[in-house]
Amino acid sequence: MTLEEGICLYAQKTPDKTAVICYEDKISYSDLWNMIIERAGLMNQDGLRKGMPYVFRASQDIDFIINYCAIHYLGAIAVPLEHQALQENFISIQKEVGGCDIPADIQDILYTTGTTGKSKGVMLSRTAIESCADNFICDMHYTDELLYIISGPLNHIASLFKIHPVLIAGGTVCILDGLKDINAFFDVFRLPYNRVATFMVPASLRLLMEFSYDKLCAVADRIDFIETGAAPITGKDMERLAKALPHSRLYNTLGGTEIGAVCTYDFNDGKYMEGCIGRPMKNSIVEVTPDGSIIVSGPTVMSGYVNDPESTAQVLQDGRITTSDLGYVDENGMIHLKGRRGDVINVGGFKVDPLEVENAAIGHESVKECICIAAEHPVIGPVLKLLVVLEDGFVLDKRSLAIYLKSKLEPHKIPTYYEAVDKLQRTYNGKLDRKYYRIK
Amino acid sequence: MKNRIIELLSEALPAVDFESEFLFSELDSLGIATILLLLSNEYHISLNASDVTPKNFMTIDSVVAMVESKLNK
Repeated sequence: MTLEEGICLYAQKTPDKTAVICYEDKISYSDLWNMIIERAGLMNQDGLRKGMPYVFRASQDIDFIINYCAIHYLGAIAVPLEHQALQENFISIQKEVGGCDIPADIQDILYTTGTTGKSKGVMLSRTAIESCADNFICDMHYTDELLYIISGPLNHIASLFKIHPVLIAGGTVCILDGLKDINAFFDVFRLPYNRVATFMVPASLRLLMEFSYDKLCAVADRIDFIETGAAPITGKDMERLAKALPHSRLYNTLGGTEIGAVCTYDFNDGKYMEGCIGRPMKNSIVEVTPDGSIIVSGPTVMSGYVNDPESTAQVLQDGRITTSDLGYVDENGMIHLKGRRGDVINVGGFKVDPLEVENAAIGHESVKECICIAAEHPVIGPVLKLLVVLEDGFVLDKRSLAIYLKSKLEPHKIPTYYEAVDKLQRTYNGKLDRKYYRIK
Repeated sequence: MKNRIIELLSEALPAVDFESEFLFSELDSLGIATILLLLSNEYHISLNASDVTPKNFMTIDSVVAMVESKLNK
């Protein structure tokens, strides 16, 4: 069943039930369905037709879901970008998706750094999206009683692909604009729902435990499950969360834009196995090769990258995706992650290609050369740090450099820390020695 | 106190405009966590999620007022 078919079904079965809540706003299944039809009509009048890509900024509200479903209703392709996407990126993506052949069954194109580190449009078919939703419904038992809090950006698969299973199961989605207002998260528990669930990256879970542990414990009985993923969670954080929520299911999931959600482990088992992602979900096949590469196949995987057959061929062969993750299978058949290949830095679940940051920074008048590395933040975990060799006559002006980068890059790609250095470590053949700078 | 707080926070979050009239909208969760940590350590006060309200983080003056109110308790 598709998301739109699910909404249509519950618009008839339980028309007055609340489908989506966003702060003070809420909408019933019936009203949501009517607004989707109305919006689709307007988009059609504006020239949107079956098979055409529609690029839009993902607002963090009910209107996003109306737009997203209306695009699908017309048989067009949704291309949601970050709500703060720079105009030049928006235009360039519009040109890219508008000027190439896209397979007939594609429903979504999600732009991501993901597996390769370079920003790419991941093409996802209707089958991939439906199979991913089915994985969640079957393996995590989504039901119509569920209130699912989505606080991450809606253009990101980890948030966007939760809307599908929740509404297909007849539950209620609650959208929050990030977690910086942690009180808004706890305000949700004033609503009359006894089965609440959410997805949070490990950095957000750390934030929640660091600054509101007591509040979390107070609502423990109403938290059905919490899912995490997109970045490693420590065994210590797993244990601390399990102590706060002793009766909740706590999942660590392997997922990605190219592969969907494919493997999950309920770590509220007293073992708190760091790096463990459990077993493959219903529609997914996950293999670990003798050299430790994790390979994913099954209907949830992407169809390819937009307009980029070379990059597609690098990761997708015969329906099997070779991820950058490395791992092993233990004696009980549980899969464990033990690192990643490549230079991509994972900042709170966002994958950042350091080269993109360096290329932007080098345009600043004071920067002679630089390297973007991972550094440890005391609460959030890994963040970006820029080591800069300055041009003669300049001193490091962090603010000027950060503001410059803010005009060139999305917010999650702007380094938190800056340091002037005399020289950068290089390998014997003159390349930046990224391994030297890795967090030990 | 205001100058010291601006100095402290600007050092840690250089991309943020602490003179903004809409400081809360400038910040993300990393920024909020960083501010809570820095102010707790600098002034030996206890800050938690309940203090993270748009009102307390509306401007740098409201952040200063929040710290002063904690110190006076």
